[in-house]
Amino acid sequence: MSLLDKLKKIGHRETGIRDFCIQTIRFKKFLENARALLDLFADGREKVLGEYIFDRHYVVTLIDSVVDRLGRMVYDASVLVPESGEELYAAYDRHKLAARNLIGSTPSAADDAVDPEYRLLSDVLKWFQGTENTGNISVMEFMRQTFFHVIQGLESNDAMTRNQALFDKNGLHASDMGIYVIDLWKDALSPPSENRSIRDFNSIPLRHLFMDSGNGDLEKAGPKANQHTAAWVAAVSEYQLSLTTLKPNFRFRLETLASGYEPSDFIFIFAGPNAPLDKIIPDGFHVERTNYGQFAWSLSITAKTIEDTLMIIGRNLFDESVRRMQ
Amino acid sequence: MSEQPLKIMVIDDENIVGKRLKPALEKTGDIVETFEEGEKALARFDESPFDIVVTDIRMEKIDGIEILEHILAKSGRTKVIIITGYATVEIAREALSKGAFDFIAKPFKPADLRAIIERASKELRS
Repeated sequence: MSLLDKLKKIGHRETGIRDFCIQTIRFKKFLENARALLDLFADGREKVLGEYIFDRHYVVTLIDSVVDRLGRMVYDASVLVPESGEELYAAYDRHKLAARNLIGSTPSAADDAVDPEYRLLSDVLKWFQGTENTGNISVMEFMRQTFFHVIQGLESNDAMTRNQALFDKNGLHASDMGIYVIDLWKDALSPPSENRSIRDFNSIPLRHLFMDSGNGDLEKAGPKANQHTAAWVAAVSEYQLSLTTLKPNFRFRLETLASGYEPSDFIFIFAGPNAPLDKIIPDGFHVERTNYGQFAWSLSITAKTIEDTLMIIGRNLFDESVRRMQ
Repeated sequence: MSEQPLKIMVIDDENIVGKRLKPALEKTGDIVETFEEGEKALARFDESPFDIVVTDIRMEKIDGIEILEHILAKSGRTKVIIITGYATVEIAREALSKGAFDFIAKPFKPADLRAIIERASKELRS
């Protein structure tokens, strides 16, 4: 069979799993772009402290980079929750205008004590973080709102019910676990024809998540369930894991990349407002709590640290006392 | 016996660079002159050579490579340090191949530039 025939065949075998895989990979890109924005903010904050020598070109490049990343994040969000696309792009346009105004602004002569480059960078940081005096929402607040749109879309009951039906239909229930497991690359092209074990998946983060969650024995580990319907879904590749619950009353989502390429590796967690996050994650995470839910992330960490952290999270998440709260 | 102060020339068309570098480099007793225009800087160099020239690579009329070539043609012992931006690292490599002593990317801390100047100073005095 020629490559073209194979591609044609793939094109006609739409199962819905492919959409799920694309959505999961897109969410990873969304997180990567959000993370790049946080790095840009951190860079600007470091430079404005006064130790660095920089010119206007640096500040303009910083603004351009923020606009670029923000645009990519909005694109990702629009793919993940198309119904929010119009609103997000309208807000993005306002930020592009704010960026243009910053670049085009001329320094006033009133404040000669501060170099214009520093004053511009200071204004840029206000645009990032907001101030009490401004009525416009900051880039950071816009990022938060975009996160809520995406998480609400991905974690909605409708989406969960739809996914569960899809996974059942395509036989993605791992035989040894109460969990659906999806190979992000293989299953997108060809759903499995027979039951699989967790051991069949070559995924470093998945292996570490379940390594210490039950007597160290993978066969016995994890959230076992006798019923056919699983409570968890893990979408994996060799270095990526996207774990989420399908329980309507317990929201928990873990996204991680553990490639060994440190600048890109991360762990991101979303949990419902009442989930016992402190009992699940170890120290070292940046945590933000909102009325809608809890967000925790750890960036720029080594693959080894991610693996150790996943072992702890797996052990805690499937610990009996935590499971009773789910 | 204390060492002779270095004569350092800073060339950057962004006013803030010279304005912030001059006091930072003068702290160690060196003599620093700053220029925003390459032509004026080269005219000054022709009058009186400097030990070290720190120049931006991307400027309006004369770029850092031309400044490097002019200075090395006039004074082979002068150490030229190139300041680069984000997108000019490739050009900085070209500058190194043409005899620049080292380069430093903006944004940078004066202490980082000072470390390069100290290395250059050791070579000048060896």
